[in-house]
Amino acid sequence: MILSKDYEEEDGYRDFRPRYPKRQRLPPVVQLCKDMLPDIRTIGESVKAFEEDIKFLSEAIINEFGNDEYFNSALLSTFNALILEQPHKQPAIALLTMVVNSGNEVAGKTIVNQFYEKLQKWISASADDDFEVTSNETGPWNKVKLTLRFLSLLSPIISVEEIIGVYRKLFELAVELNKASGEKRNPLSEAIYTNTLLDIPYLFFFNRESEELKLKVQDLMLYVESNYFVKKVDLSLTREYNKNLPYAPVQWVQVVLTNVKNCLANDMKELKNLFPDYQHMLGSLPAELQFNDPLVLPELEKLLPFSGLDKGLGSVDSMWKTPRTAFQVYLPNVVGAFSTVVPVTSYAGMLFDDIIVDIVESLEFNRHEVARQVVTLDLYFKPGIFTEPGLSVAQLLAQHEETPELSTYKIEDLAIENILGLIFKLPTVTQSFAYFYTLLVEICQNSPKAIAPVFGRAFRLFYNNLDNMDHELKMRYLDWFSIQMSNFNFSWKWNEWEQDSIAFSKSFYNPRITFAKNLIRKELRLTSNRPDVEDSLTVEFKQYLDASYITKNQLTAYYQSLFEGFEFDPEIIKDNDLLFKNEAFPFHDKVQLILDYFHKQQLEKNVSELESLLEDIRTTCSAQIPDFDRFTVTLLIQALVYSGNRSLSHANKYISDAKNDLVMILGKIALSDVVKEQWIIEAVIRYWNCNSQNGFLIVDSFKHSELVTAKSILAFSFSDLNGQNLGLVEATSIESTFRTLTQLALQQTSDISVFEFVFERLVTIANETISQLGMPDEEIVAPLVDNESMLDDDELSRLDLMWKYESTMGFIKSILRKYSDEYSILLDKFKSDVDQSVSHEPTRAQLNQWFQEICEL
Amino acid sequence: MSLAEFDELRWDHSCDRLDVPSNYLKRKARKTPSGLEELRKSMVSATIYVGNLSFYTSEEQLYELFNKCGTIERIIMGLDRFKFTPCGFCFIIYQTPQEALAALKYLSKTKLDDREITIDLDPGFEEGRQFGRGKNGGQVSDELRFEYDASRGGFYVPLENRIGTVNNFGARRIREPNKGHYHHVHHHHHHHHHQHHQQHQQHQQQHQTAAVAVAVPAKVNPMEVEEELDSYIPGQ
Repeated sequence: MILSKDYEEEDGYRDFRPRYPKRQRLPPVVQLCKDMLPDIRTIGESVKAFEEDIKFLSEAIINEFGNDEYFNSALLSTFNALILEQPHKQPAIALLTMVVNSGNEVAGKTIVNQFYEKLQKWISASADDDFEVTSNETGPWNKVKLTLRFLSLLSPIISVEEIIGVYRKLFELAVELNKASGEKRNPLSEAIYTNTLLDIPYLFFFNRESEELKLKVQDLMLYVESNYFVKKVDLSLTREYNKNLPYAPVQWVQVVLTNVKNCLANDMKELKNLFPDYQHMLGSLPAELQFNDPLVLPELEKLLPFSGLDKGLGSVDSMWKTPRTAFQVYLPNVVGAFSTVVPVTSYAGMLFDDIIVDIVESLEFNRHEVARQVVTLDLYFKPGIFTEPGLSVAQLLAQHEETPELSTYKIEDLAIENILGLIFKLPTVTQSFAYFYTLLVEICQNSPKAIAPVFGRAFRLFYNNLDNMDHELKMRYLDWFSIQMSNFNFSWKWNEWEQDSIAFSKSFYNPRITFAKNLIRKELRLTSNRPDVEDSLTVEFKQYLDASYITKNQLTAYYQSLFEGFEFDPEIIKDNDLLFKNEAFPFHDKVQLILDYFHKQQLEKNVSELESLLEDIRTTCSAQIPDFDRFTVTLLIQALVYSGNRSLSHANKYISDAKNDLVMILGKIALSDVVKEQWIIEAVIRYWNCNSQNGFLIVDSFKHSELVTAKSILAFSFSDLNGQNLGLVEATSIESTFRTLTQLALQQTSDISVFEFVFERLVTIANETISQLGMPDEEIVAPLVDNESMLDDDELSRLDLMWKYESTMGFIKSILRKYSDEYSILLDKFKSDVDQSVSHEPTRAQLNQWFQEICEL
Repeated sequence: MSLAEFDELRWDHSCDRLDVPSNYLKRKARKTPSGLEELRKSMVSATIYVGNLSFYTSEEQLYELFNKCGTIERIIMGLDRFKFTPCGFCFIIYQTPQEALAALKYLSKTKLDDREITIDLDPGFEEGRQFGRGKNGGQVSDELRFEYDASRGGFYVPLENRIGTVNNFGARRIREPNKGHYHHVHHHHHHHHHQHHQQHQQHQQQHQTAAVAVAVPAKVNPMEVEEELDSYIPGQ
């Protein structure tokens, strides 16, 4: 093969030419920044080099600061970026600042001023409608927290009076906001209260002896304790588990004060065990600095409209919209008689959670860096807080046996638990799921042997709690699991779950069975190499490899129902093929002509041709086709879908090309649109019975072409077929439901009636299930069934009804929460409707509770 | 040619952003008069280019992965311009530019069909660009590829060319990108750099391979690692 001279010009993006970077000639000051600032960014990553780094970097800054505006501003930007994006490095930056200050007071003063000004800037931004938000924006109040933390670290060089004054003002604001909203919870107030309290111990990081500071902090804490009243709000709508909670949820706001008090108690014993002591590196400390201007807080009236933290001012700030709760995955006493994560009921635990969330959210633009930083956090704290990195559970158990006083906290567990907390955050997530999923994949890829088992423990906890888990979270779990598997050859120890399959495989609604089915199907959708998935399964699970939406018998019955006095061999129904063109059908040659018609160029088409083909079929076969309208719609839609079966794009093209013809023909059928649309959707989904994901996506394009409505799709999804309601359990249908509703919610003039319809449909399903169960009064709770026990068919079908009831209620909970804006408009109507239509008292009570809570979201 | 904001050194973050044009795009942009304009367009076009796909990867699979970053308007499969079969790349058009940037940040280098996919920004799809520009209809990169790749049509270079001409083609292989060895020229903290770097690496290693003594073989499947004993299954 001869390469063209300038092959790069023709290149298909990937470039194989060896690279010889041109020597760049940069101005010396830029070169200096290029050499020095990356070292500041990575400061502390090498513990051994830390002291030397501080020495060399501070010398350089002392010499260079003030000489060139470019240098000054680049340095300050770098400091700011680290403070906001990698808060674990704050003590290192503070140390650097103080050492610089001892050699160059102008530099020190400039740094302090800059961050004080930033503090003012973020506070002002918090009540600004025009505040610009990007995906890495964590929010003005979160930045206030981080900037105040940094200023607190500088307490040895700042007047105690001044810094405590800032705290005082913030606490006063929290108290006022809290009072202003009366009985109701005030999200901003909780955020400021918690954030500011969390910062207090940092005042003592470099300043452990000052009596003045200790006294002032004592006063401050007394003020907070006696003036801030924590409100108790418990929202069941945002609970991760519907029943049998595997742990008692802990709200940050409830425990933060105790955490901080404990941290400072006993001559700051906890604090000294947490923060490393850099005292010896501080050097001489010149006079205390004062802040230039008094801090100005926005007026209460101006701030109140923003205090719901629901205006999308940034990822971390918005996490306070509902009570901020600690998500737990690695529960104590599971692997041994100890905990592997630092409990949130300690200052250290809460601080680590806070720092990890800040890193993950603010550095979302570089997941490689996040993956590195979150598992090396321990370097920035006192050694011994965590186990040796990557210690396996077996090793940890052995170590604990031998030396019980050693720490059992695993940094990997802590980091992953927090990322999972962000994935499983209710009511909303802060970033695209893709970010969190691939971040976890990345962490695992960096050190597979250490991390994979940590994931394994999370997979197991979630799996074992599937019966209780929130409906929406089950879908997120499924998504995460499948992405993780597809990045690691799909292998999973399926044998662990075999017993469940043996016991419940005949059930339609059992949460574990539906999870396994959905997982296997999702994996199949993620690969073009089916054997990868097949080979990963044990024999027991291979039964779920058949991804058919409805069973073969149901499918046969569907096609057979179009005919009368004419039977065909079910074996001729093939995946992704048009049944009607089979020679078994007397009209098959006409079907071929219909296909030819759809393949014609737009200009060559004339709908009369299509109509005459249909007419031919009618005249010859009307005896065998009782409902010719239904047959017509089914035939045309399936012929169209078959024509575009190569890919979604093909399907889209054929649908939009045929739209006018379809409108014409459908228009001549004198039946309601509701009926015709059901036929269209059913035709598509049955055609793609082997791959319902394709089916639902193609239905979406029919919706896009305005041939079906959102309501029809949902009506189809939640229709019962022999007591089986796939819309409740099948992942592609559930995804389609959420996709349809979300799309509606995003439209300016969203059609509330669709939301009303879904709710009412689900309530009807719940009612029917209750009456089938014959439990008119008692609360319906599916019992935990031992998978070793043999269930007879009656027992299983009764259990199945209970699981169906729970799935339905879980679905209702999810949509009320996810589309609370839409549902809050309907509440009055729902309240009176439910009183009428729901006779089952516990169900009615549950629905009413959720209605109450919607207003709190 | 200078690429204005794309060439600027920035200090407003503590590490690089991943949602920027690749070096390939920048190099290409330097050579064309409209290069800068194209780069700017690619930041707001809502379109991405996805490469290093298996020829067998379907649109549906792409949908399953890429919908996790946003609402997909359209997927355009790259096709061999003679055979009209997929030839290993595609364009994905999202509803908003933010979604396209999210895909670039979050999904580049993740695996699809066991291949690390590459993602780049794109100024926007135009008819005709879905076709491979190689002499034989596929992607040029495949025509330069020497190694066997089962999911991209096996050997591209015919057998007779592979024998005896290794030296010629050897020069065209993929090179590992330079891994961040920046050079300290500034006298103030010059001398400690190497030591620093080494220690850092050591620490990283310690952290990453952790208590594992043996280096992880390339094909190890971590989900099979028998570290956890089954008796520790939570809740049982």
